[in-house]
This record gives sequence, C-alpha cells and structure tokens, in this order.
Amino acid sequence: MLRAPIKPLPPRRSQYGVAPELVRKRAAELPDMVSVLVRDLFPDAAPVIYPGENGLEVIREATRKQMEKVDLSMIKPGDPVNVLGSHHGFTLLGGAPYAEMLRTIRDVVRERTGCTDIRLRVGVGLRFRESEEYIKAFGLDEYYEGKAAGVAPVDEGVAIETEIGTLYGIKKIYDARWIIHAHNSDVREVHFHRQVDRAVKPFGMSYARIETRSTYHQNLGPRAANFVARAIFDSPFVQEKFACAVFLMMSPSGVVGVDADNDLYALNDRVTYLGCRDYGKMMTLLGEIDEAITILDFPSPVPYVFAAGVIFANFAGANRDLFDLDDPLPPYTWYTEAFYGEDGRPLIEGVPPVNPAIKVVIHNYAWGGYPSAFFTEHIPTIVVGREQAELLDRDPQNLSYTKHTLLAEDLDTAVRFAKQVAGTDKILAFDGASGALNVSRSLGEYLLQKAPLVSRRVDGELLPKWLKQRGIDPSRIKIC
Amino acid sequence: MRAVTLYAVVDVDKCKGCTRCERVCPVLAIKVENKKAVVDPENCLGCANCEQRCPEMAITMAHLEQSRVVQESLAGVDMAAVNDLCRKAHLHPKQIICYCTATRAGEVAAAVLKGAKSPEEISRRTGVRTGCKVECIQPVLRLLHAAGIAPERPAGGYQWYGLTPTVWDIPEEVKKKYAQRGFYFDEDRKLLDSLVETGERREINVARTD
Ligand code: SF4
Ligand code: SF4
Repeated sequence: MLRAPIKPLPPRRSQYGVAPELVRKRAAELPDMVSVLVRDLFPDAAPVIYPGENGLEVIREATRKQMEKVDLSMIKPGDPVNVLGSHHGFTLLGGAPYAEMLRTIRDVVRERTGCTDIRLRVGVGLRFRESEEYIKAFGLDEYYEGKAAGVAPVDEGVAIETEIGTLYGIKKIYDARWIIHAHNSDVREVHFHRQVDRAVKPFGMSYARIETRSTYHQNLGPRAANFVARAIFDSPFVQEKFACAVFLMMSPSGVVGVDADNDLYALNDRVTYLGCRDYGKMMTLLGEIDEAITILDFPSPVPYVFAAGVIFANFAGANRDLFDLDDPLPPYTWYTEAFYGEDGRPLIEGVPPVNPAIKVVIHNYAWGGYPSAFFTEHIPTIVVGREQAELLDRDPQNLSYTKHTLLAEDLDTAVRFAKQVAGTDKILAFDGASGALNVSRSLGEYLLQKAPLVSRRVDGELLPKWLKQRGIDPSRIKIC
Repeated sequence: MRAVTLYAVVDVDKCKGCTRCERVCPVLAIKVENKKAVVDPENCLGCANCEQRCPEMAITMAHLEQSRVVQESLAGVDMAAVNDLCRKAHLHPKQIICYCTATRAGEVAAAVLKGAKSPEEISRRTGVRTGCKVECIQPVLRLLHAAGIAPERPAGGYQWYGLTPTVWDIPEEVKKKYAQRGFYFDEDRKLLDSLVETGERREINVARTD
C-alpha cells in the first residue's frame, strides 16, 4: 500500500514567497520517498468528488444542486449582493475548485434573482494582497465584471453592535444589501478555533477589522476566542444582510461536496461533525508519530503548509488532542506563544511543549507573511536557499525567524544533515499532495500500522467526546 | 524589539494622492502633500502597510543603508508602576503582546508611563503594530485605558477604531446561553487570571528578597 510519491502542489508565483524557479527540488523527489493514500490509511474515508475524472464540472454541478434548496427570493433585481470569499479557499487543491464555486454562485444568483450588481469581496489573513493575487490568477475580476476586490483588515471599518459590545468589520464586506458567505469546511486552524463554530469564523476573521481579530487572539482566551465570530454574525447588522452560505466541503482526501443553507448554524453543525470525524482521524494519527524530520514544501506561510489536509501548525501541536476542549492550551496558539518568558521558559505551569516528535524542520519552500519565529525558536530549523532566507529577513513579520535557523544550499544537504542530527530516517512532507501523505518509506510503514487503531479509537472514544463538548448530537446530523 | 531595515519609497508618477497610505500608517509617517504622498524616513518603521494597500502600486520598500532598532528602555522606570499598569490591563508584564516583534506588555506599559498617549506614539517607541499590523492593537488600547488615557483617533484614519470586549466583560446571560456550544469563558478567564497572578506572586517574591 505504499505507492510512488504523488506530485506535490506546484510552487506559486507570489510576492510572499520565492520565485517558483528557485524551488529547485521538492521533498517528493528525494530518494526513498513514497505516498500513503488517505483511503489506504482510513478505508472508511468519505468519497471525494474532486479531484476526479470530470474535473471542475462536478464542482459547478454540486454548487448548482445545493443552491437549489436555498431561498434567494429576498434578493430583488436591483439589490447589490456581495459574495464573500476568503484567501484560504484558494489554498485548497491549488484553488481551482473554490474559484469554480465562486463563479457558479454568481451565475446562480444572477439567473434566479435577475440581480446584476453582484460583487466578489475576498478577505485575507496577514498578507494583504494575497487575495488580489488569486482573483487575478483565476480571472475572477473578469467573471465578476470588474467587481471583484481583495479586502484587508486595515481597510476602512464599520462598527457592529453585538451582544458582548462593539466589534468592527470591514466596511467593504458589508457595503451591499445582501451578503452570501462563500467559504469551505477545511478544519485548518483547529489550534485557534478548536472546531467550535468553524463555519462562522470568517465573520470574526477574514471579514473583520484588526480590532476584532486582536480581540480573538488577545482578549478572550484560547477556547472562548471564536465567540467574536458568533457575536458579529448574530448582530442585527449582519442578520439583516445575510442571505445564505455556500461551502466547499473538504476532507483530508479532497473535496467531498458542496453544502448550502439559509441557516448558517445548521450548516455549521454539519461542518463541525464532518471536521471532527474526518480530520480528527488524520490529526490523531499524526499525533502518533514518534519522531520525524518535517519538510515544509507548499505555497503558504510556515504554519499553513498542508499534508493530507492537516496544516503544519496542527502537527506542531499533535502531541495534544487539539479537538479536546477539556485541554485548555494547545502547544501552539498565540496565547501559548504569549505565555513564554524572555528566557524561553513558560511563565505559568501547564504550558504544553511543541510536539517533541518533530526533530528537525526543513524549510524547503514556505512563504513569509505570518509571524513564525515561534517555530524556529522551538524546533531546530534548516532554511534551504539564501534567497528564501533573504525573503524572510525582509518580512516585517519575520525579522527574527532566521536568527534561529541554519542555512543549507540545497534540499539534499539539508536532509543529509537533518538525518544525522535527528537520528531518524522518518520524513513527513507538507507539500499539498492531494489525498495522500508523501513520506519516507519508514514513516509510511509506521503510519499504515498505526492507522487501524487510531480509527477505532476516534470512532469509539474520541469522536463522541468531541461532539458532546460542542453540543452536537450526531443522530440529528443530516449530511446533504 | 523592532529592527528597522526598510523604508517606504513613493513613485510620485504613479501616486494619485488618494490618501489611503496616510490612513493606514501605524506611526503617521506618510502624508499627502500637494496631492502626492511623502514619507518621513526618520519615522517610517518599514512596516509595509502603505505599500500593501496603495491602490496604484506606487510604493516600494527599500533597504535602509543603516538599520536601526526601536525599543523602549526600562531603565529608570518605576517597575512597581509598570507591574501595576499591566495588572490593571489583565496582562503579565513579561507576556508577549506583539508576536512579530516579541514585545512584552511591560515595555509598552513603560512607554505609557514615560508619556506615550496614543497607539501611534507607543508604536514609535516600541515598534509594536508594525509587523503584521493586525493582532496587537487591543493590548495596546487596554494598557492606555488602564492608565486612564482615552487616545484620539488619527483624523480620518483607519489605524484603529476602539477598545473591544474582553473575557472579563462577558455578560452572565451570554455565558449561560452558549455554555453547551463549546465556549469556555470562565475557564479561559481563569487561565488568563492565573497568568496575571503569577506576575503578582513574582513581584511579591522579588520584594521579599530585596
Ligand atoms: S496610497 Fe498610493 S496613490 Fe494613494 S496617496 Fe498613497 S502613494 Fe499615493
Ligand atoms: S505604513 Fe509603514 S512603511 Fe509605510 S510609511 Fe508608515 S511606517 Fe513606513
């Protein structure tokens, strides 16, 4: 069940990363690398609709079909409508399925309502032009007839009165009569949102101003943080504008469908359930890894590089159960980072260490544009290529990232050295290989051996606990 | 500590004088004069906010010939007052509040005690708010508020809008309403309080051994 390595996601030309031609070798090209398919690890994994034989057409069809059950009658022909997207969707499987969903939403709204003023507003993380890059790459501005724009959390704001007080959104997100929340169910930052109100999160993040995002990461605590999203979404200001939500439904294997609903909380329950079930197994399995050299090899900032749907930040915390809400503090969150003193030791007891199984990180290809020095302070890291080190040194968010790293001329040298110092030949690549993990043979065999046990443990013990903590009754969940 | 290695350069041929850069600069180091943006290189901290938001792509970031460091010195500051201000803001003086510059609450408190009266002045002295430009506005506002300072927003600017709620402000009925949905307000408050209390215990111990 070990297969030839699956082609990793190609590098992307972006101002936040080195030029693709400077990524000279990928982890998957190293000798002794193999692929383990998600469905070989977990034979009960949900079937995917993309990637597949029929390409993007299935995304279009699924979006149309799901939107049939959504009421759009509130939208009158003269009403302006904002379709709200997030940069994150474009990091999934290269971005094409998300872009296709966004195109289809526009077509359906136009056909069903006669409305012509349909705009696309795409929020960002901490790289303020990232969404503009995706809009251009996927021709979305033309598709939206010149009405597509990237928005950033430092753009003009709007005060939103909520049941906990005033929070702030981005004015351009809300400058229409109606909004359509077009997102995805990828679990991604489970260390931050803890899979609580995952589907609501963009209201506290991609669609929000800096004040709200700072509230999330500094004012509320690691398990209460995502409440800002619910507070904003429930506000009369947002409720008055909300038309419906359309989600690309993801699993570690790929796109499993599209879901749409006028009731965001009904959709949220489905997202919570599927996220715990599908990503829960993969994350628990990664937590079983006893030692590994980790190679970052994906067009995203350090914490957001993907391996079988799981981001590196989650592997950095995989020594703890990130879904278990009884565990207050993951090994990596910004609250955790804040709790380390100048001497590098925690200020309070009970701060869990960064996953000790990660012996060395090789930064073969990952972007700047996210404060990532925490990782190099806690994990021995080798950066490949002088150009990449220089890019990070110029990044205002990573001015001390390379203070704690070694520099290697090429990937082979980095791997040779890492194996020597780490004393392991287990390698895990975060390279975006679709539906699979690209790993060294030794790690592939290890994972195949561990997976059945993990599967049974999640089904029998962990999943029921995770769902109970979130108030989800699985018998009431109807998957569309 | 903020190492300043870059500064903003305006291409006046491309600049249309829209003032967007002026409205987002966290230290007010760029201004539109006679319909063209002008950078004050002495005060520019190289955060690239203007470069990232200019709709005309008229700004580039250039390397400073001589880099400099921005940091508020704690020398001569009354540390009891620093600790007291942090405590009022529910912060531990040693906790990081800006993840890009690794600036700790105590340094920002010292800047306030030394006369900084706005987030802009605090950023000029400490470098906070000039990395990602997003995540650290609230602890800065909380420390100013704890010092009894109500800063004025830069006129017409988008730099910041205001203080927002904290876990210490969540109404009981909200906590009750969402208790079954995975929000752990009281438990998180306890965790954050324990951090602040550790800071207090440390002070007492230091005082006893003095
Ligand atoms: S944002 Fe750009 S175009 Fe607008 S004033 Fe500044 S430099 Fe000029
Ligand atoms: S926004 Fe940043 S880079 Fe631009 S002038 Fe202000 S400090 Fe300098």
